[in-house]
Amino acid sequence: MPYINTITRRQFLRNSLRAGAGLGIAALCRVPPFACRALAEGNIGLNGKKLLFIFLRGANDALNSCLPVKDTAFTSTLRPNIWIPQDVPSYYDTLGACEFPTGLASTFAHTNALRVGNGFAGLHPSLKFLAPAYNAGELLMIHRVGYPNQSRSHFDSQAYWESGEPNSASREGIFYRTLVESGVLAANPIAGVSIQSALPTIFKGSGAALTNISDPTRYDLLGTPTPNADNKLSNAILNANQAQFANKRSRELLQLSYQNLSSTLDLFATINFDETGNTFADDVATDIGAAHYNLFPTTNAKNGDGTTAGYVVDTGAYSFFEQLKAAALILNNTDAVIAGTEMGGFDTHDNQGGITGDHANLQSRIGWAMYALRKYFQLNANKVSWNNLVVVTLTEFGRTSAQNGNAGTDHAEAGLMWVAGGGVKGYGKAGRTSGVLNCGTSDSIPWTVGPSGSMFGVAGRYLQRTTDYRSVLGEVIREHLGATQNQLNSIIPGYADSGEHLQSAGVSSVDSTQVTGEVDVV
Amino acid sequence: MKPKENFPQRLDVSLLVKRILPLGLLCLTWLAVSADEFTDPAAPTLTLTNVSSAQKRITFTPFPSADVFTMLSVTNLGGAWATNGGGAFSNLTWTGSAGASNTFYRLQVTPLASNALLTATALNRLGYGPTPDLLDRLLQNSGTNSAAAWITEQLAPETITERAVLAHTNIAYIQGRFGTPSNALVSSSAVTTGIGTTATSDLQSWLVLDGVFADRQLLEVLTQFIENHLVTYAGKSANFFIGIGFRDATPNRAPCEFEWREVSRWRNVLLNPTGTFYDLLKISAESPAMLIYLDTYASKGSAGNTPNENYSRELMELFTMGVDNGYDQSDITNMAPAWTGWTVELVNETNWNNPFAAKTTIKINGASGAYTNLYGVWTLNYKSNNHANSAKTIYGGKYVPARFGAPYTNKLYGANVTPGLYQLTIPSRTGTNGMTDGYDIIAHLADLPFTQEYLSVKLCRLFVHDNFSTGYDYTDPNLGAEGQLVKACMAAWEGSSPKGQLRPVLATIFNSSLFRSHGGNAQKVKTPLEFCVSAVRALRQSTNGTGLHGSWASYTDGYGLTLSSGGAQTAGKASPLMRIGSMNLFNRDAPDGYPEAATSWVDAGGLVERARFISSLLKATGQTGKNDDNSFLNNNITLPVKLLQIRLPNAADQTNATKVADTFLPLLFPGEGRASLDAYRTVAVNSLNTDDTGTNSSPFASLTVSSTGGSTYDTRVRGMLTTLMSLQRFQEQ
Repeated sequence: MPYINTITRRQFLRNSLRAGAGLGIAALCRVPPFACRALAEGNIGLNGKKLLFIFLRGANDALNSCLPVKDTAFTSTLRPNIWIPQDVPSYYDTLGACEFPTGLASTFAHTNALRVGNGFAGLHPSLKFLAPAYNAGELLMIHRVGYPNQSRSHFDSQAYWESGEPNSASREGIFYRTLVESGVLAANPIAGVSIQSALPTIFKGSGAALTNISDPTRYDLLGTPTPNADNKLSNAILNANQAQFANKRSRELLQLSYQNLSSTLDLFATINFDETGNTFADDVATDIGAAHYNLFPTTNAKNGDGTTAGYVVDTGAYSFFEQLKAAALILNNTDAVIAGTEMGGFDTHDNQGGITGDHANLQSRIGWAMYALRKYFQLNANKVSWNNLVVVTLTEFGRTSAQNGNAGTDHAEAGLMWVAGGGVKGYGKAGRTSGVLNCGTSDSIPWTVGPSGSMFGVAGRYLQRTTDYRSVLGEVIREHLGATQNQLNSIIPGYADSGEHLQSAGVSSVDSTQVTGEVDVV
Repeated sequence: MKPKENFPQRLDVSLLVKRILPLGLLCLTWLAVSADEFTDPAAPTLTLTNVSSAQKRITFTPFPSADVFTMLSVTNLGGAWATNGGGAFSNLTWTGSAGASNTFYRLQVTPLASNALLTATALNRLGYGPTPDLLDRLLQNSGTNSAAAWITEQLAPETITERAVLAHTNIAYIQGRFGTPSNALVSSSAVTTGIGTTATSDLQSWLVLDGVFADRQLLEVLTQFIENHLVTYAGKSANFFIGIGFRDATPNRAPCEFEWREVSRWRNVLLNPTGTFYDLLKISAESPAMLIYLDTYASKGSAGNTPNENYSRELMELFTMGVDNGYDQSDITNMAPAWTGWTVELVNETNWNNPFAAKTTIKINGASGAYTNLYGVWTLNYKSNNHANSAKTIYGGKYVPARFGAPYTNKLYGANVTPGLYQLTIPSRTGTNGMTDGYDIIAHLADLPFTQEYLSVKLCRLFVHDNFSTGYDYTDPNLGAEGQLVKACMAAWEGSSPKGQLRPVLATIFNSSLFRSHGGNAQKVKTPLEFCVSAVRALRQSTNGTGLHGSWASYTDGYGLTLSSGGAQTAGKASPLMRIGSMNLFNRDAPDGYPEAATSWVDAGGLVERARFISSLLKATGQTGKNDDNSFLNNNITLPVKLLQIRLPNAADQTNATKVADTFLPLLFPGEGRASLDAYRTVAVNSLNTDDTGTNSSPFASLTVSSTGGSTYDTRVRGMLTTLMSLQRFQEQ
């Protein structure tokens, strides 16, 4: 009976969290560390490893990120108005490092798809800042990622990615379960933190409230009503949390969230989230000229070299980088284990743009985010180093191979994940000659070309999946964060079903699609 | 359906604390009390402890909306139970007097009267929260001054005299500047007054002002519900105009006009006693805002083009049937060509209602003939050249699932001759006839059981609680309460003539056991909009009884809730609604609308911003932090001592901390009952008796009554209210 222990312990933790809620935060914090340890197996929260996630909401157009330039069906007829020009085909045959054009007249002046160096794929030039991490072997680009019976509804599919349970009504988050399984929540009220407008499903669950902060510079009370009455209000709220009322549908959620508020209010006080604290800069001349660019572009002056030509991201990107910076600072300066944020705007049905335009702008943010996070954690490591961090992106699905009548793309199937970190097995590591997976001819499930190839593998219209997103997240949760396989079977229930082939290659019993299983990301 | 009154009346919970041994070793017995959400809540569980061998203490678990706890005792079970006057209650504990003889104990709970409980539920769900004057009126429980009568009244808003326009001058000011569909766009930013000069920020302010002041509260709640259900994104309209080169005031004003056109047309439907869902859906389908938002305006089905699927998908998934509820990808693909040709165009004013009109040729005075110099009305326009003329079959061979049961499975749908088949066949149409495709689709959708189900579910989530879903088996004899209510709503929809009227569906919900019973109260959490508006309303009483502008103990100019101090909704200086949950009204970028469920809004960051808003709202004008980095917050005004002086006129009472607390507690938490609020009363009294440090005692009784902002007394009362309105129970509705 291999699950007895897991279930019992998990149940115990949930119950103890509930009990803690009733008793107040003091009781929550007083769970002795040894008790947590005795309860938990695995190393989540103990091995110093952390995770940062970025959800790309709206469904990123994977075929406009990592371009299958050697697919004979990938032509400008397929995408006439959003086409990314290419060099001569032979240019992309050369194997090796990813092209990283710098010192141009403007940051994104390069007008052709970049050579990734796997002999097959190209990279949208707005993603050029992925190249340094990629060439260091610290970034993987995993194409053709999806799940069985892919939903093309944003809201369902986002929920499936976030719950780790495709086509299930569950809205309990995969990272919520990761932290509940770990046992760290009992002693660490900020084990999971999101920085966005509201707590994402990925962190939601009924047994504990994880922390969401919409604006870290304002995570403080305002007083009752004189400013020096902060304590009066926070003490009153803390006391009133003890008040017992009859149960109603939302009261457990409110109680847990108020407890979370009371216990986290002081934890961030030592971190400077303001603009004055945004002083993190590159250690080398970054691109144009000799300037060491600011890592977190939150103002025009901190965007590249501060000139329009030198901007590394579009000017609409600043609030995202505020949030990304906060997530990075929290991981680096507190005991948070998983932190994340989101970026919207990827639902590019209309005027998606080509070399420039809406989607190019969004991608510049992804490229620079990866560049900046790597440098930030390499140069400023405190509670976590780049080697102990994994950054993952999630997005609900990919977009149609062919453009629609509005110079945009519609909802489709498989998409693309980026995974980065000092310990990631990228280009040049673990015998890999490329950091692109599933977009080449030498992958275990090769990209098939032509009008009946991979780009049209589902319903004659959509990119067919090769790797399940759960296999990527599952491997990160086990191999990086330190879950045992036993824990992982609870965190991602699909792992417990060998027919799903999340771990090893095979044919999915759900929809008879050949999948890779885990792809050795870390 | 006949209203049910299922509130427990005075509940003698009949809990015996039975003495078995003379030493005071007692065992507990409780009589079985059936406990579900419709009938009576479970009785409290009692626990007895000895303070000393001669003094007993009984603690008990909470009971919802308990108004009074009474401890009865009897020394001999054969005797009569009598109130035990020797002990005292504190929160959920009763402590007997010292040296009492051994007795049997019995706890009696008097719950809140049913009209009082329904008042709290109705004002929180059919409206944006209680106001002191509405509480005073409905709690009379006599004639039209009762909760049930108010619900009936709200269901017929056209019968209610609307006085909101008197309550704040901004309402008339903004309304007077909204554009009309037949008036040419005012594109010059040099013109700032008159019709057609509002921006979306004005519309946001108007909406919250109406929420605060309107007598037709349900109309306001439904307006926001429909606006959020058939959601559009004003920002995308603005981008549309920028994209085609229209500048100056057009990108600010035209999107507002589009949103207002939707809202004003929807309100006409809501004011119509027989208004249907089809009427609402048609307005949405014809709205330029929707045509732009979900990309229909540029979708082409003519040769060589792939139609855009965006609108077809969301029309079924979000606006009518509900996700994966009776359709699949092939239906989306098959429907998309039908909408091609529906676009927007700038036409002559006289053609505002003619979808086949040509683009206007009238130019702005002295300007060249460029598109951006044309003058006219932006409106729905059908371009037959873009349309896919071929025949279309949607839902081919699809039958209504058995779970809907009769009459749905044996009904004939549209032109089908087989019962239960809901295939929609659209013939090949040419020229302007092609526009009929779209109308065929919405008429078909508005009649499908899936749509009835999904809309009923969404209304139940809005008015009852969050845990309703599509997919119930309505033929199941053990169908749960939620499924039964949805089924009843669908029957009301199906049974009305013309079909699909909203009022019978709403009446079904408001008369249901789930809504009216004890368990209906306080099951939901306020959205950011509901939270902010309800906070202003909670203290909103006219200080001279006139209800006129300037006479309120609590008010806002509207912009104080919705506008960022930078003009646009930017970070840092953002509006309360943005800070609490990125609730940018009329500007939701995702087509699912703002969520209704508590789990989408409740997290530490949002709760901090809610508390900050309350702190700012309750600060007196000029007190430090009042503006909280956004000067518009200075326009949210509260005068709690003025309110107190009206409701507690005896000067001696005004320095009695308990009496002051008991003046405000029923205004803020009218559904809880006095006894259930004991712990909050303690918090309030402690707050009044403590100085600003929160640690030093400073007796409230020795303060000098003053309503002047910054005086110690005024600050103390404001602090107490800040605390109460920052607590968990004020998040609920």
